[in-house]
Amino acid sequence: MKKLGYGVILFLYILGAASCEKDDICVEGNTPLMVIEFFDINNPDTPKNVPKLRVVGQGQTVTVNTSADRTDLNKITVPLKTAEDSTGFFLISNSASNEDGFEIGNIDTITFNYARLEEFKSRACGFIITYEDLNGSLQTDTDNWIKDIEIIRSEIINADSTHVKIFH
Amino acid sequence: MLRYSISFIVLLSVVSGFAQDKPIDTQPKDTVVYKQSYGIRVGLDLSRIIISSLDDNYTGLELVADYRLTEDLYIAAELGNENKTQQEDVYNFNTSGSYLKVGIDRNTYANWYGEQNLIFYGGRFGFSTFSNTLNNYQIFDNNRYWNPEGFATASETEEEFGGRTASWIEAVLGTKVELFPNIYLGASIRLGFLFTDAQDGRFPILFVPGFNKVTWDSKFGVGYNYSISYFLPLYKKNRKVKKIAAEGEEQ
Repeated sequence: MKKLGYGVILFLYILGAASCEKDDICVEGNTPLMVIEFFDINNPDTPKNVPKLRVVGQGQTVTVNTSADRTDLNKITVPLKTAEDSTGFFLISNSASNEDGFEIGNIDTITFNYARLEEFKSRACGFIITYEDLNGSLQTDTDNWIKDIEIIRSEIINADSTHVKIFH
Repeated sequence: MLRYSISFIVLLSVVSGFAQDKPIDTQPKDTVVYKQSYGIRVGLDLSRIIISSLDDNYTGLELVADYRLTEDLYIAAELGNENKTQQEDVYNFNTSGSYLKVGIDRNTYANWYGEQNLIFYGGRFGFSTFSNTLNNYQIFDNNRYWNPEGFATASETEEEFGGRTASWIEAVLGTKVELFPNIYLGASIRLGFLFTDAQDGRFPILFVPGFNKVTWDSKFGVGYNYSISYFLPLYKKNRKVKKIAAEGEEQ
């Protein structure tokens, strides 16, 4: 009977151990954000703040939730679409509203094109997207505050380093 | 010195015993020989049948069998088929396939006269061939800017990953109790170690028929079964005399 007792204890122990799972929460990865840094066009190595920068995704009515709104910034992160190979952004310098609520800042439009790669990250995370073959094009208007775009890294696998340099 | 003297006296008494014509047998040995049945036991796993009837996303069947080799050694095998659809947070997939496990069980239970129960430990080698179908999946993305309602759907079309195989070893702990003559009710728990690299390819192996759930970044898995089986006696053999003597000393 003693052996049976040990067996029962072992049985309960293994059942208890098996019901503890770390597989339910995704910690292994995430679809990365794109990092944009702003530099001085006359002095390409010097970061330069964009005054009162506002970033709005093309097709959206709200500003991006990853950077501060109407703030002087030289570095922002933006989310790219996971369902399409192209994402457009309105980058507004000196953003402000007039009495009627219309934007009076300088609006420049950049479209980023890329290829999407699906990657299975873990049981809890499932598939995430990483991007490659990134390129950006500026829509020319009468008064572009953005002078040049340079792609530093064409692959976006994390948000640790800068992918795009914008000169102004 | 005292021990040696006692040994010497005992030796002397034995020697004096030989001097008698016939030894006096005060405890005559029981001459009735107890024969034990040897044969094959076949059955079904009850848990897989019950879960199949309760869970719409699972069908499974497992046949169990063992053959008694010696006093306490059995060859044991399980043959099964499982079909399981699982909904995870961001994807839904199906695993369908068959498996075979072969190994040995060793009985540790010292049965009383007439009993034929088992409390056993054992090992198995398991092999499974199966296919996965990724039914649908979304893209995991913490940022809700472009998809405020939830994760963006990436695919609704079924994608099949066929011809998959997996092998593993298993440690088994279990019991088989004779409920009625030759009808046994059994239960076992299993701890498996997977040999196959589960995280290879576009869609990893997350469930293996027979092995059960494959935990992320771990080679170990757990399983169980509850079997009902029928013992078919083929021949009878004497219980080993040596064993009886050893057990007599223990008690």
